[in-house]
Amino acid sequence: MEQKKVESNAGNWKEYTRVLLPPVRDLHRLDVYEKQGGYSALRSVLKGDKWDPKSVGDAVKSSGLRGRGGAAFNAGLKWSFMPPVDERPRYLCCNGDESEPGTFKDRQLMEYNPHLVFEGILIAAYSMSITTTFIYVRGEYADWIKHMEGELKKAYDKGFVGKNIMGTDFSTDIVIHKGAGAYICGEETSLMESLEGKRAYPRSKPPFPAAYGVFGMPTTINNVETLACVPLIIDRGADWFAGIGAKTHAGPLLYGISGHVNRPGVYEYPSGMLMTDLIYDVCKGMRGGKKLKAVVPGGSSTPVLRADMIEGVCMDSDSLRAVGSMLGTGGMLVMDEDTDMVKWLRRVSHFYHHESCGQCTPCREGTGWLEDLVGKIDDGEGNLRDLDILIDLCYQMEGRTVCALADAAAWPVRYTIDRFRSEFEAKCRASHVATGDLQIA
Amino acid sequence: MSGHGAEIVTLPKINPADAIPADKLVFTAEEKAQLQEYKSRYPEAEGAVMRGLWFAQEKFGFLPPEVIRLVADELGIEYARAYGVATFYTQYYKQKMGKYVLDVCTCFSCQVCGGYDMLHHLEEKLGIKPGETTDDGLFSIQGVECLGACGSAPMLQVTNGPYVFNLTEDKLDALVDSLRSGKMPPFTSVTLPQDEEEMGGNRRSDAAAVATYQTPPVAGAVE
Repeated sequence: MEQKKVESNAGNWKEYTRVLLPPVRDLHRLDVYEKQGGYSALRSVLKGDKWDPKSVGDAVKSSGLRGRGGAAFNAGLKWSFMPPVDERPRYLCCNGDESEPGTFKDRQLMEYNPHLVFEGILIAAYSMSITTTFIYVRGEYADWIKHMEGELKKAYDKGFVGKNIMGTDFSTDIVIHKGAGAYICGEETSLMESLEGKRAYPRSKPPFPAAYGVFGMPTTINNVETLACVPLIIDRGADWFAGIGAKTHAGPLLYGISGHVNRPGVYEYPSGMLMTDLIYDVCKGMRGGKKLKAVVPGGSSTPVLRADMIEGVCMDSDSLRAVGSMLGTGGMLVMDEDTDMVKWLRRVSHFYHHESCGQCTPCREGTGWLEDLVGKIDDGEGNLRDLDILIDLCYQMEGRTVCALADAAAWPVRYTIDRFRSEFEAKCRASHVATGDLQIA
Repeated sequence: MSGHGAEIVTLPKINPADAIPADKLVFTAEEKAQLQEYKSRYPEAEGAVMRGLWFAQEKFGFLPPEVIRLVADELGIEYARAYGVATFYTQYYKQKMGKYVLDVCTCFSCQVCGGYDMLHHLEEKLGIKPGETTDDGLFSIQGVECLGACGSAPMLQVTNGPYVFNLTEDKLDALVDSLRSGKMPPFTSVTLPQDEEEMGGNRRSDAAAVATYQTPPVAGAVE
C-alpha cells in the first residue's frame, strides 16, 4: 500500500505545555490560582490603560478562537453582534450543559480550573458590558456545582466578582444555574428558555440571542472552554493563541477520548492533532491489541468515520469537514473491530428519541421511527427496503425543525448506514419485497 | 399502532402510602428564606423554579403535584408553569423512588464499554428491572443517557449525587453493600492521564478520595 503523507496540524505537540489545565496541584483554589498569575488578565483589562471593551473583543476575534461547544463559530465575532449599550440589562450565558454523548471535557475545567472560567467570563462581561452571567451547568454535575459555588463565593469575597470589581467602577454578577437533565438545554435558545423557568423548547431564530435573548434582553452564549481561553488570549496575546495548532481553528483543545483505547480520558493538546496520533500515541493504542473499526470525532451527532478514513486526518473543523465529518465538541469515541455498528446506532437513535423535546413534528415522530426501524433491522426483522426508508426519513428530518436536534439525530443514521452498509444488509432479510404480505388471488 | 412521539410523561399514580401528610407539607421559615434567596438571583421569579424544585425534591424525596404547588406558591408563580417544568426534566422524580437511585449510564461510550452488563448485573443482584424499586424501598435502578464521564466508562450516579467510575461487577457488589450500611460513595476526582506523568496523578489535596487515572477494566460484550 502506498504510504500517505501524514502531517499534523498540531505542530510539535510532544513539547506542548498545557495552559487550560496546567499541572499545578490545587489549582482550583483561589490562592493557588492567583499565585500562578491568575486574575492578572482581568486586572490589566480593568486597570491598565492598554485595554478598552472594544480592543478586548478585537483581540479575541483576531486570535481565531472558535466556539468549543460544537458549532465552531468565531467567538469574538459573536461578541460583536451585541447591540450598543442602552439602559437594558445584558446577559452572558456560559454553557456548561455538556450533554452531547462522548463529551466530558468541561467538567474537568469546572473542577480543576474554575477560576480560569470565571476570569474569562469577567473579561467577556467587561467587553460586552454584561450585567449578569448565568453559568448553566447540567443537573447531573451536582457535586461540581457545589464545588464551583464554593469557589465563586471566594471570588466574590475577594472583590473579583460583584460590585466595583478590583475597586473600579465595573460591576457584574455571576449566577450558577443548575439544570435537571435535558440534552436539549445545550442548544442555546432552549438553554435560555430553561433559564427563564420554562420547558426547554428551542426558539426560532431570528431573532438571534444578541437581539432578543434570555429574559428578552441582549444575550451572548459561549461554551465553558471557549470562555476559559479568553484570559490566556489577553495574557499572552492574540498572536500567541493564533500560533497554536491548526491555522483555521487555533488554540489549545481539550480532547475527550473514550471507548476502546488503553488510556481514555481528557487530554489537552493543540488543535489539529492527527486522529491516529491521538489513538495510537496519546491513548497508547487499542485495548487488547484489537483492530480499530470506527471513530466518532466529536460527540454523538458528528458522522462516524471508518478506520480507513482517518489516516492523515487532523482534529480541526476544516480537516474533518473534508472527510465528511465534524469536530463538534472534540469528544471522540473509538470503537474496535468487535463493535456491532447496528446495535451501536440503535442506542444512538434511542438517545435522540428520548431527548427530543417534542416541539417539532419531524423530530418528535422522526426520532421514534429511526429508533424503531434501526431496532427492527437489529432484531433481524428488517429488509433492505428499510434502509432506503431510513435514508428517506433522514431527508424528511434534516433542516425541517426549529433546532438542529433532528439533524443531529439523522446524521448518525445516514452516515452509519452509508459507511457500514454491509453490516446493516447482513442483518436484513434478503428480499426487497415483503413477499409474505402479498395476497395473490 | 401507537405513535412515535417523544415520551409523553403522564404523572404516575402515587401510592397512597407515599402521600405526604398535610402537616408535613410545609416549608420552614429558614427554607422559605432560601427559596427567596434563589428568587433574588433572577430578574424574574420563574427563573428560580428549577432550583426551587430541586430544593423541594431534596426535602420531600419526590415531587407529587402538591409539592409542585407548594414551590409555585412560595415563589409566587403559576402552578401550571412549575408543573410543566417538573414534568419536562428527567431528574425530577415524579414518584417516590428508592432511598438510593442507581442511574447506570448506558449511552454510547458506556454501551460499548459494557454499561448494559453493569445494568443487568444490578437487575440480577437486586431482583428488579430498570424503573422499579426494591420491596424494602432501598434501591431503584435506571438506565440513563450520557452522564458526561465517558472516559471512565462504564459508570453510574447515585441519587443525583456522587459518580462511581470504571465499574466492574465486584465494584457494584461493594457499592450495594456499602449503601445497605448507609454509606454513600465518596467524591472521586478523576485526573487527566497527562497529570499522571507530570504530577504523579493527584491534582487535589482536598478531595475526599482522589482516584488517579486507571486503566479501565476490559470492555464487556457490546449489548
